Amino acid sequence: MKRHLTEQELIEYQFKLASDAQMGEIGGHLGECGQCRGELERLARRFAALDLLREEIKASEDLISQVVEQAGQPRRVRLPAYRKIPAWAGAAAAVLVVGLLLMVSNLPKRGAHEEPAAKGPGIEERWPAVKTTLVAGGAGEFRAGTAGALAEQDIAEQAPFAPASAIELVTLPRRDNVQLTIYNSADLTLVRERRNLTLKRGWNWLQFMWANTLIDPTSLSLEPLEKGDEIDIQQLVFPARLRELGRWLIRSEVSGQVPFEITYFTSGLSWRAFYMGTLGRDEKTMQMKGYVRVGNNSGEDYEDAQTRLIVGQVHLLDQIAELAGRQYAYGRPGAEVVMLEEALDAGGIHLANGLFATGVVELKQAVELLDRKEIRKEGLSEYFLYTIEGTETIPHQWGKRLLSFEAEDIKVDSLYKYDEERWGDQTIRFVKFANDKDHNLGETPIPDGDVRIYSQADDIGHLSYIGGTSVKYIPVSEEVELDLGPARLVKVEPILMSFKTDNYMFDTKKEIAGWDETRSWDMKLTNTWELPVEIEITRGFGTAYWMLKTDDKDVIYEKHDATHARFELKLGPRTKRTLGYTVTTYHGVREEAMSK
Amino acid sequence: MVNTDKSLIDAHCGGDRTAFGELVRRYGDSVLGYLMRMTGNREQAEDLFQETFKRVHEKAHTFRGLGFKNWLFRIATNAAIDGLRRQKRLRIVSLNQSAGCCDGDCDELGAVTAADCCDASDEAIRAEQKEQVRQAVDELPARQRATLVLAYYQQLSYSEVAEVMGCSTGTVKVQMSRALRSLARRLPDTSGGAQ
Repeated sequence: MKRHLTEQELIEYQFKLASDAQMGEIGGHLGECGQCRGELERLARRFAALDLLREEIKASEDLISQVVEQAGQPRRVRLPAYRKIPAWAGAAAAVLVVGLLLMVSNLPKRGAHEEPAAKGPGIEERWPAVKTTLVAGGAGEFRAGTAGALAEQDIAEQAPFAPASAIELVTLPRRDNVQLTIYNSADLTLVRERRNLTLKRGWNWLQFMWANTLIDPTSLSLEPLEKGDEIDIQQLVFPARLRELGRWLIRSEVSGQVPFEITYFTSGLSWRAFYMGTLGRDEKTMQMKGYVRVGNNSGEDYEDAQTRLIVGQVHLLDQIAELAGRQYAYGRPGAEVVMLEEALDAGGIHLANGLFATGVVELKQAVELLDRKEIRKEGLSEYFLYTIEGTETIPHQWGKRLLSFEAEDIKVDSLYKYDEERWGDQTIRFVKFANDKDHNLGETPIPDGDVRIYSQADDIGHLSYIGGTSVKYIPVSEEVELDLGPARLVKVEPILMSFKTDNYMFDTKKEIAGWDETRSWDMKLTNTWELPVEIEITRGFGTAYWMLKTDDKDVIYEKHDATHARFELKLGPRTKRTLGYTVTTYHGVREEAMSK
Repeated sequence: MVNTDKSLIDAHCGGDRTAFGELVRRYGDSVLGYLMRMTGNREQAEDLFQETFKRVHEKAHTFRGLGFKNWLFRIATNAAIDGLRRQKRLRIVSLNQSAGCCDGDCDELGAVTAADCCDASDEAIRAEQKEQVRQAVDELPARQRATLVLAYYQQLSYSEVAEVMGCSTGTVKVQMSRALRSLARRLPDTSGGAQ
């Protein structure tokens, strides 16, 4: 064998997988080839890592005893952890798994006599036959019992210890209903979901896992929607060394299905608004459609979710994604819980240290102010909450665009601006309107988003793209100017016609201490468009000591600020015009002369 | 006198409860170790352990007397593959991943903390490498994983593995070869690290 050995041949040689003939052939080659021997040694070192899993594993005496005892039971039943699971649960991409862990705690210790019991839902098919639920405790403690007998017994006063192993998934209930409230400013979403859980009378464990999602485990909250006086949610436990799961301990006086609401915060859901405006032929009116795009990168699918979108700034103490990503739910001493402290405070929603439950309750109360049934856009102090009509299914990694509002005949003004300091020698086009009732808007604030403006190119409805921009949050009654970019049909060209200096002043050393500069400008304005336009020209002088004169009586200007003047004028269709002015600026000690 | 597996099974079928206990004790560590390596999860392994011996209990009368160990591992393999299939469908994550702990005792709630058991940096490196090995093994398809665990860790011969898996020795070797080629790319290099 002259060629070098392949990795497969080396593996087959090392683990004696090759035939005798091949083994001899490979062995012969290895005897002659140092490179292949080196490669074999490298592979051997690599496979030596497998020995890390070779540690001795002992079956505990408790486990053995349990198996032996169960073998003594008379009839065949199923193991707890592998009961029938609905088919949808396997197919769903959801990572969130909710299982009800039933622990019967007020029952005799292992080894005590066990009474046979009647069948009951949930645990009757487990092995062994008499519905014994076994949950391992810390030091090998086991508690067992019968569900049937429990109905007549008192529930143990002492809560059972949170089990770390021998978990029994009794039910895997599907969400009946889910509601998302998405804040676009803080990567924060409040999820409220309703599930029907099957409880047993006694102590119940409900397990909640959030692996591969961005759920904030510190924000988990569970509330029974019915039979609240008979169901007591005692604690939420995050067992040591068990990652990404929490267990609620529920004491129930009732047996059967009970609707529960689970609330929590997650990140990864986001929404963004964008708008399409279509100008009419005369460009005096505009039709506007608002959309929201909801994106889901939370790791969780949300089916038939009622979706609400919050406009407004939220200040978070901790980023939810970071909370979700921590190894254990409560990893940071002193700030392990997040609370919504001032949900309705005008200053903003502040989340600070405190009890989480309070925070959720407050936010829930705020959210419940709103009607669920229609498209509603309502104020929540300085916030605004959009409710999308009906329900939407938003799978993980999907985005969905939804129509937010539609308005016709919005009166708009086209405005052209020239400001050399801001835009260079380009004239910029703006569309101006107000978010008020006069403009067929004003029902709600308009969230941040991108705007694209089109105009009707002809009478049969063809559109041409004019420009696009981003808008900030527009409150009701606020005026807005949309920057559509450089104009092609309207131009402003400033030409310096003359420059002179004058009125020099000297100090005692005969050095120049002050002077005036006088510039004459011609602004050549061109409108090649078929419609009249308004133009706003801003000129800067680099000093607060200036004086402007013009001989043109039609020219209107005002002092825009200390160093700028602003001209406003109208230009007819397809016309040219020259605007002339002279500006004198004062320098050095001449500034004093000007200020007098 | 040491009872043979066959005599214990016969005794169990005859109603002797202690015989079954002896069988469980005799093979308990081995079966639990196998299932732990198959699942990477203590509590799932314990569940499958119960399932395995439940099936042994129920099918004891069908045992024909040769190779109890292979028969037992065949049952354990079927239980493990069924369990892994269900786990995949349910997407249940491990409840009990060791947080870098250096021994299996960390699986028990109330046991020493991760910090207690993994102070030394070499232990931490070792734990990380162990986790990498665990992941590499977990990523193997179930039958390849079973073949590897039976042949490498349980030290069954390829013909015994074939008996357990219900296939030919050639098939076992193909599965083993594929598993090892996958592992060669995924296993960490432990030569420079703490052992």
